[in-house]
Amino acid sequence: MVSLSFGKDGTYSMIIVEYNKCAGCRTCETVCSAANHKIKIGGVDYPGLGNPNLSNIRVYSYNPDTFVPNVCQFCEDSPCVNACPSPIDKKTGKKALSKDEVLGNIVYNPSVCMHCGNCARACKEKSAGVIIFDEQERRPTGMCTLCGGDPQCVKYCPYGALHFVKGKVKRKFYKMKPDKIAEILAREWYKGKGGKVQ
Amino acid sequence: MKIKGYNGIILDVNLTTGKISKIALSEEYIVNFLGGRGLGAKFLYDEVKAGTDPLGEENILMFMAGPLSGYPVPSASRLTVITKSPHTSPVNKKYKHSSTLSYSSVGGFFAPEIKFAGYDGIIIRGKSPFPVYLYIKNDKVEIRDARKFWGMGTNEFDKRIKEELDDKKFQVIYIGPAGENLVEYASILHTASRAAGRGGVGAVMGSKKLKAIAIRGTNLPPVDDIVKYNKLLEKYRKIFKNSNRTLNWRLNGTAGALVSSSRRGSQAVKNYREGTFKDIDKIGAEAARKQYWVKNYACYTCMLSCKKSGVIKDGPYAGISHDGPEYETGTMLGANLLVSDLAGLLKEIFDADDYGVDAIAIGNTIGFLMEAYEKKLIDIKFLDGIDLKWGDVDAILKMMKKIINREGVGMYASRGVKFLSEKIGQGSSDFAIHVKGHELAAWNVHVNPWTGISYATSNRGACHLNGGNPKSQDRGALLDSLGICRFAFFGYKNDGLREFVNAITGIDYTSEDFRKVGERIYNLEKMFNVREGFDIKDDVLPERFFKEPLSYGPGKGKVLTKEKFYGKMLHKYYLDRGWDPKTSIPTKSKLKELGLV
Ligand code: SF4
Ligand code: SF4
Repeated sequence: MVSLSFGKDGTYSMIIVEYNKCAGCRTCETVCSAANHKIKIGGVDYPGLGNPNLSNIRVYSYNPDTFVPNVCQFCEDSPCVNACPSPIDKKTGKKALSKDEVLGNIVYNPSVCMHCGNCARACKEKSAGVIIFDEQERRPTGMCTLCGGDPQCVKYCPYGALHFVKGKVKRKFYKMKPDKIAEILAREWYKGKGGKVQ
Repeated sequence: MKIKGYNGIILDVNLTTGKISKIALSEEYIVNFLGGRGLGAKFLYDEVKAGTDPLGEENILMFMAGPLSGYPVPSASRLTVITKSPHTSPVNKKYKHSSTLSYSSVGGFFAPEIKFAGYDGIIIRGKSPFPVYLYIKNDKVEIRDARKFWGMGTNEFDKRIKEELDDKKFQVIYIGPAGENLVEYASILHTASRAAGRGGVGAVMGSKKLKAIAIRGTNLPPVDDIVKYNKLLEKYRKIFKNSNRTLNWRLNGTAGALVSSSRRGSQAVKNYREGTFKDIDKIGAEAARKQYWVKNYACYTCMLSCKKSGVIKDGPYAGISHDGPEYETGTMLGANLLVSDLAGLLKEIFDADDYGVDAIAIGNTIGFLMEAYEKKLIDIKFLDGIDLKWGDVDAILKMMKKIINREGVGMYASRGVKFLSEKIGQGSSDFAIHVKGHELAAWNVHVNPWTGISYATSNRGACHLNGGNPKSQDRGALLDSLGICRFAFFGYKNDGLREFVNAITGIDYTSEDFRKVGERIYNLEKMFNVREGFDIKDDVLPERFFKEPLSYGPGKGKVLTKEKFYGKMLHKYYLDRGWDPKTSIPTKSKLKELGLV
């Protein structure tokens, strides 16, 4: 496991996507799901089935072939945490959503969650729309756990499209929605002479 | 249900009555036929009576997932579409509508989504009075109006339907104008570039007035042994990661074979007259990489990414983005028609997919017309004024349009080379390259007669994915029933797949039981055809391969002889199969052994 520390300049660890390498295979969704939804047998935890619908990273596919894995942006201003109106949990001293002090990922604490969906709305308005409010379960989903410091999506991406980095990185598509990213990429990749895109 | 890894439910939709029901899948069916092509063959055999009109209300159209579908087993991405073919026919028609069954496989993301939505397959019956599409979101199933989409090409439809659906994660499968117009060899498209191409499955969908199926699901059924399952995932991910063959798939996809096959003399060139295309380098993988390809893309949890998308940068088609050339599309619309203009070839491939037509069958058909025209068996009037010369992309594009709209010559050509050769006569059947009415694919047979056995004996009519001996044919049927991609077989072998199936389902297949599932499926398909009136007279290759040796290239002089091909090879094939070598019909004892009587 990589050793991590809180960035002194306020930056955190994060997942970076190298879009031109992504083949849209969705392996990342399945390993994220398996790692974050374990199955317990005889007191031992095993990776789960890998149902991609339970993943925190979500891959969106477009025509012409452009794929956008959408994952927590590790926003500097954490709009989701700011929008969360929950009381402070006495045990942890934190709201339902808070930023992990070591890894910088968003931590969810269901015991004080108000089930209001403000976090998802804030993420959609001010960032990439990664947090999705599950209407059935009445809870936010999609918050990347960074898998405790060993991100499984990065480890298993067959095409080397995902990277785990620390520190300040310039991100061209920071906080941008998948549709918008896809539009920009498609224009870059699939243009004929005179910039003609079909 | 005791068996794991299945939802145990087939979604059954009747478009005549609008009735939507769920049928329970029996454990016996699963153990004997597994899923995909196998389960489809079983349902078809049981439900579609001999002589049924393939484009009538009584035919059923099935979209089947397999036991591996939905799980992140590398390359478990394939869906099989099964129906009675509107395109095939026997020499002697026992019924007006005698035809074979057809199965056509397509990768992508549709089969996994069927699983997520809570089903193992979808059966479509009847006919809607007006164009509709099927909307499925887990339990919620609706037949929706599709009139505004009717007539739309697949590329535009792919974008428009996503705007209409309330969730970007829907997976959609659909037909284009070819299927709507009942072109006999229409295909079904997914993601605008993946096709269930063969056997006319798109025409059956069009006859039902079903433009599309859009599906979205959120669940996945539990597996039997999660510990074993995780171990196997780990093991095979590593095998694929470390294999050189993986790198080769990524580098070239199937397009690598364009040049290598031509160099061996095994390519369909000039309507199968030759096996080598002199200009192959102009349309092969290297050329495509330099001039066209932008990126690799993959099907669900596949580590090979054999698909390549690109954009035409220059010339009249600049700005068109699509996939290809693959070996089949590049040969059938390229080498077989002597097309050496890469951009033109790519436009042809784009159009074929946009129309929703089988690139193999339409390339083969146009090759036949070119030859008949060159030999002056037909004139330019027959071709509605199209000067259909070898290598002329413009003329090819015009002819494709005629075929899709079924106007003028397209009326006949939309029915394939068998029909055309009967219409034209004058000995043209010698170079009408089909078996049972189904056009041959991109592998030529002179230098490899076993490919000829494959074509002659495949159950859907000429099929390049069949193999020339019972062992590989049965294995193909097995793979198509699991939901796994054939290109990934090298990583698994029979035992790897069996281990996965056992861990997921809890069925304890021995190697022999597992192998036998494939053999059972193959024999059942054969019996479907026998019931329709097919026999040994239908297991024949076009005369061309026995009369005209290759005239140049590495295979120069190669030709088949009837004595060896029919007398020895095919005869041996029937004996190996346990079929009567006089009639080609499976023996009672073989059927009994497989539990089919
Ligand atoms: S695993 Fe990698 S290549 Fe596959 S979809 Fe995810 S990021 Fe893209
Ligand atoms: S780091 Fe872990 S939790 Fe975060 S997206 Fe990747 S796999 Fe999912």
